[in-house]
Amino acid sequence: MISTQKVTKTVSTSEGELQILQPISFEVKAGESVAIVGASGSGKSTLLGLLAGLDEVSSGEIYLNDEGLHNMNEEARARLRGEKVGFIFQSFMLVQSLTAIENVMLPAEIAGLKDAKARAKTILEQVGLSHRAHHYPNQLSGGEQQRVAVARAFINQPKILFADEPTGNLDAANSEKIEQLLFKMNQELGTTLILVTHDSKLAKRCQRQLNMQGGALTETTSSDTATEQGA
Amino acid sequence: MGIVSSLAWRLFKHEAKRGELTIILLAIVLSVASVLSLSLFSERLQGALQERSASFLAADTQLRASQPIEGAWVQQAHEDGLDTASQVATRSMAFGETQMSLVDLRAVNENYPLKGTILVADAPFGEAHPADNLPQPGEAWIDSRLFQLLDVSIGGTIYVGDASFRVSGVLSEIPDAGFSLFTTEPIVLIRQRDVASADITGPGSRVTYKTYFTGDEQNLSQFYDWLRPQLNDELHRWQAASDDDSPIGRSVKRAERYFLLASLLAIILAAVSIAVAAQRYSQRHFDPVAIMKTLGASKTTIRRIYTLQICFITLLGIVLGVIAGMIIQQVVITVLAANVEVSLDVWHWRPILMAIFTGVVCALLFSLYPLLQLFSVPPLRVLRRDMSTNLQAKSLQFLAAGGAIFALMWTYSQDLKISAILFISGIALVAGLMVVTVGLIRIGRKLGSGSMGPWRLAWARISRRAMDNSVQLISFSVTLLLLLVVLVMRNDMVEQWRAQLPEGTPNYFLINITETQKPELEAHFAQNDVQTSDFFPVVRGRFVAVNGERVNTEVSKDDDDGSREGRTGLGREANLTWSNTLQSGNEIVAGNWQGNQVEKPTDGIYPVSVESDVAERLGIELGDLLTFNIGSEEVQSRVTSLRKVDWQTMQPNFFFVLSPAAMQDFSPTYITSFYLPSERKQALTALLQPFASTTLFDVDARINQLRDIVEQVSLAVEFILILVLAAGALVLIAQVQASMDERQQELAILRTLGAKGSLIRLSVVYEFIIIGIVAGFMAALANELSLYMLQTEVFQMQASLHPQFWIIAPTVGAIVVGALGAIGCWRLLSLNTTTLLRKMI
Repeated sequence: MISTQKVTKTVSTSEGELQILQPISFEVKAGESVAIVGASGSGKSTLLGLLAGLDEVSSGEIYLNDEGLHNMNEEARARLRGEKVGFIFQSFMLVQSLTAIENVMLPAEIAGLKDAKARAKTILEQVGLSHRAHHYPNQLSGGEQQRVAVARAFINQPKILFADEPTGNLDAANSEKIEQLLFKMNQELGTTLILVTHDSKLAKRCQRQLNMQGGALTETTSSDTATEQGA
Repeated sequence: MGIVSSLAWRLFKHEAKRGELTIILLAIVLSVASVLSLSLFSERLQGALQERSASFLAADTQLRASQPIEGAWVQQAHEDGLDTASQVATRSMAFGETQMSLVDLRAVNENYPLKGTILVADAPFGEAHPADNLPQPGEAWIDSRLFQLLDVSIGGTIYVGDASFRVSGVLSEIPDAGFSLFTTEPIVLIRQRDVASADITGPGSRVTYKTYFTGDEQNLSQFYDWLRPQLNDELHRWQAASDDDSPIGRSVKRAERYFLLASLLAIILAAVSIAVAAQRYSQRHFDPVAIMKTLGASKTTIRRIYTLQICFITLLGIVLGVIAGMIIQQVVITVLAANVEVSLDVWHWRPILMAIFTGVVCALLFSLYPLLQLFSVPPLRVLRRDMSTNLQAKSLQFLAAGGAIFALMWTYSQDLKISAILFISGIALVAGLMVVTVGLIRIGRKLGSGSMGPWRLAWARISRRAMDNSVQLISFSVTLLLLLVVLVMRNDMVEQWRAQLPEGTPNYFLINITETQKPELEAHFAQNDVQTSDFFPVVRGRFVAVNGERVNTEVSKDDDDGSREGRTGLGREANLTWSNTLQSGNEIVAGNWQGNQVEKPTDGIYPVSVESDVAERLGIELGDLLTFNIGSEEVQSRVTSLRKVDWQTMQPNFFFVLSPAAMQDFSPTYITSFYLPSERKQALTALLQPFASTTLFDVDARINQLRDIVEQVSLAVEFILILVLAAGALVLIAQVQASMDERQQELAILRTLGAKGSLIRLSVVYEFIIIGIVAGFMAALANELSLYMLQTEVFQMQASLHPQFWIIAPTVGAIVVGALGAIGCWRLLSLNTTTLLRKMI
């Protein structure tokens, strides 16, 4: 499903070039759940950005569903994201001027689906928020906002879901709810799940864990079979 | 596209409902409303003022000819939908039973006057009131003076040429009598059909045939286009109310320019506020765009969504702006109705179209760069919130925005000069501000360190937010600059207008004062507490030769044209005066003023100063030898100077001013003028009783009329000023509001960390005060530059320095901007910290 080969990322700063990702190679199979863990500034989010096609690699190759992201321009990557990818963010990233249901509908509308509203209603029901469909994000609690985000992430039935600290802004109870929701939908829809987290409990629920340190992927472990992979 | 437009519409609807669009919407509404109300009001006012001018011409346009004009022309005018009237004017002797006098005979047809009114009185020198008809055929209405000069009374008979007329009315004024003072003969008004029986228009007589035209502008210009090729410059003169060069015409023109300026400034204000609002709008949408891009929206989709949004906002803004503009101007007109004449009968489309055009151009062009920025927001922003946009080419933005403003100004004013002046000072201001910003950053770095206090916070913020502040500084300064320009121009203009007719301007002229009467009259007047002005000696003389060559008196094919009626009679007799001092309102344009020359020149020929227009018409040049016949004597003088005379001044003016030494053998009569307050008008008879042989000219009504108009225009200008000030204030509020939102995050953090409200509030207020002072000072600088150029190049006024504004502008800037900052900050601080933090997300 996902394959990276010697992916690096370098940025220019006032003090010269800074390599924030060492060459990274790994593969993720379809339907797998993978946690990228590591300390702050270790490059987790940068890697996530590259995998999701939000950013461009400095060198190396990334294949998403057999399509070479590294060869695509922003437009092509956007199309690919729209078709195959769902997102959940730590800060929810809901459009403040749209209601909950409209936020959920957004990816379906962008993809040009005619039944966006019906889908959104169904999925909002699944996350238990049909009664708050017409509320604006700032009228919802953090947990509710993240559930809307989860609904939004799954509305197009994406092949891959990227989640950046999905429970980072939530309390324990809400975190638990979101985690359950995430894994339930992941299983029901057979979605590949890539999530970046600090939360070791959450990471452990994933089939595999990729550990980032200083821009390098030092090891990968899986919940049942830990395997070492060079970075 | 369907989904995109429905998404755009939904976003628009929700944002509008939640008040997110208020600022950008207000900016557009403001631009449309101010341009509409200003230009609608000024067009209506101009319509009224033009109507006034027209009343001095007795029509919208006048064709004057030295021979009867073709019947076909009048026919064509009627076909073009114009109303016409006609007048035959000539100078002729009128006879009473025992006396005679030269009179200005006006024979009019039944349609006269098309504009303005004829004023009549019940008794000579009595109070004037509008006449509701014309003299009947065979009757004449005559000037008050003629009752005395011809020794005739109402019901009596006067004789002109071969005809006799029954005197049936006292004529006080006709609309197109002109502004002449002492050289005009008293007017006799008769019907045109009586001219033939009088037989006074035969060969050798100097007759002016006037045809009057009135109709709507388009028909008039259509008719003029048709007529123009057939006109002969030698015979015809076309005069429109709009090219009136009288004091009224000039005031109106200047006022028109001022309105134009005010509207231009309103456009710039609007543009500035839209630019500020669009910037903020764009920044607020960075996140949604990043989200949509992340969710797979293509650039095209984003472009469509936001272009549509801007279109919706623009449309709504224009609709609301037009409504607001109509209401504002209606309110202004209602308030002013009692004091200022406005023409409400004409529907002006131009202001509405202009306002809509302004709204569209401003909204689209000024949101262009912010929108481009928005389109280029990278999707990665969803992960890295600090990423905004990688769009470069800020200079391109300035170029585009500047070009747009300039194009708008030029299109609107159709006056390259006035647009260029404003534009150049604007550019100079922006450039200056860039330099200042750099300076502020440096100062900020120095002052922003040290112990924590509101000043330090303020400076630190100024330094850190230098680029944002530079935009803000520029918009504050431009706003203040524009307000200053409008304010100072208004002050200077109104002042100079009023200076034309200061309190106590002579409103009566007395002529035919003999040498012996002069001291008695002075004493008598002084006794009655009436101050007379200088006594000008006058002798009637005939100008006969230039350099020994006889002058054909017909050369002076002068006719009684408007303000310069005084020239008439030059071909026959002129009023000659002499003086060593140059009269006020006269300006030497060639040669040197004769000065105090007592010694007889070696060649025995004394100097003479000639009015420059007459010199040009008669081909007189410096050094020419002029010969005058005075009685049986001949006087020769050499032209040593040419004078430009301000015919607008209410004082006697002369074509020829000779040297007193050359004229010492002649006994003159004197002319003087004096001021008598209206309430003392009754005393006039007693005042003049001992001097029955003198002749009085009453220009009181005319001066009052002139003053009325100046007052009216000044008042209108003041209202325009208030409108612009209000618009400016709104722009300032919008700017502060916009920047407040940007400060929100910092306030939230400081608040969360437990900073005292007073510390935060003071730091914000100080920051705004500093910005206000700098903006005010820079605006004062740029103000001088614009005013210098405007006054000298556009308004033909004397340029003036305004040092007081160097202090006032920074002070007002500091107070206003500081206060607005305090209010904005107070609003934010009244929210609790949680709400503040929530708003941040």
